[in-house]
Amino acid sequence: MTPMTPIDPHLQQALDGERDPSALPADLREAYARLIGAASLLQDAPPVSVAERVMAEIRRSPLAISRESATRRLGHWLTRPRAFTVRLRPAWTLPLAAAIAAILLLPLGPSGSPTPGAAEGIAQFVGHFPGARSVEVVGSFNDWSRGTLPLRDENHDGIWHGAAVLPAGQHEYMFVVDGERWVADPLAGRYVDDGFGAGRENALLIVRPAMAGGDQP
Amino acid sequence: MRLVLALTLVVAPLAAQAAHPRLAGRVPAAALPAIDSLVAQAVAESLPSEPLVQKALEGGAKGIPADRLVNGVRRGLIQLRNARAILTRVAPAQPVPDGHIAAVAAALARGLSPELVERLLAGAPAEPPGPVLHAAADLVAHGFNPDSAADLLLTAQEKGLHGMRLLDVAVAAAHELQRGGGRTPAQALERVRAMLPNVPQAPPPPPHPRAVTHRHTAGS
Repeated sequence: MTPMTPIDPHLQQALDGERDPSALPADLREAYARLIGAASLLQDAPPVSVAERVMAEIRRSPLAISRESATRRLGHWLTRPRAFTVRLRPAWTLPLAAAIAAILLLPLGPSGSPTPGAAEGIAQFVGHFPGARSVEVVGSFNDWSRGTLPLRDENHDGIWHGAAVLPAGQHEYMFVVDGERWVADPLAGRYVDDGFGAGRENALLIVRPAMAGGDQP
Repeated sequence: MRLVLALTLVVAPLAAQAAHPRLAGRVPAAALPAIDSLVAQAVAESLPSEPLVQKALEGGAKGIPADRLVNGVRRGLIQLRNARAILTRVAPAQPVPDGHIAAVAAALARGLSPELVERLLAGAPAEPPGPVLHAAADLVAHGFNPDSAADLLLTAQEKGLHGMRLLDVAVAAAHELQRGGGRTPAQALERVRAMLPNVPQAPPPPPHPRAVTHRHTAGS
């Protein structure tokens, strides 16, 4: 940085209007003329100080943000880094860590589908019912209630399918087609007389436990 | 003894009442008193009542007339009694779990004779009865001689196969029979006996089928 040089007292007096500039020596008159020219240039230029630029930006910002969409503002709010402080008693850290671990280790399958436990298994149901409007599974696992296990036919090819997590063991069931026709699953492979004396049979499903160690009666 | 009797007298009506709300509106009103009575009898005899409630719900859902519905529930009660009698003969000094009674009753409903059931249970009294009885019923349903089927399953147990693996024995026998070449059921059983204990294992279901959206629990 260049060191500041003290100004000549005569020149200072002339700049302050206390001395006639024309009475200055020639070298000082030249310096006086340069300084006056610079001063006039500064007076003509706009006042752009740092503080003024900051204030101008602050004044401009709300207007600019208000022009943005709500989605964009939300995006800014979500993505802009922010500092926050968590005050936590040390005694709470252990339960908090346990809760986080439990959430991380929770047995959820893809897309959150139910996962069978040790004494449960997955039963898959498939039936070919071309032209059917609805097919559902009704059985001992759902108290023979309607509307709890509907099958789906996304391709509209007449092949209806679905699956459920059931307790391991034996379950009797039937398909109900279009809400009125009771059909024993043709693919079940096992059947049992329903005991009502008309020779009708229920399909029989034996669910194996999905994990080793599941008990069976 | 007095305490047991007193508890029975108290618990039986309570259990019957507990079944009533599940049945009300789901079975014909004309059948409800008789079914309640049958359920109460089961409870009084320390038999599982849930199979009877399920049979009543099934009959109601299917629109079975009241008289046939009651007969179906009564038949279920008789099977439960027979099942407990078989289990008690096989292991006289041991308590009989409800699940075992229900499993044996289901085997009787599938057409296994009480003698065959008793023979299979006596062959492995410490084993849960469900899998071996279902395996036997599967073999009989495929046309195998019941006694020969029981022989095969008892041999499989002696060679270390237990639980659901016994169902694989029945599947292997059915495959051998279907393989053709003029094989008789006896020959098919013999071929499976020669494989023991290395019968093919059923493939496990996919761990997370795409369409699994329901969870059902027994008696829910």
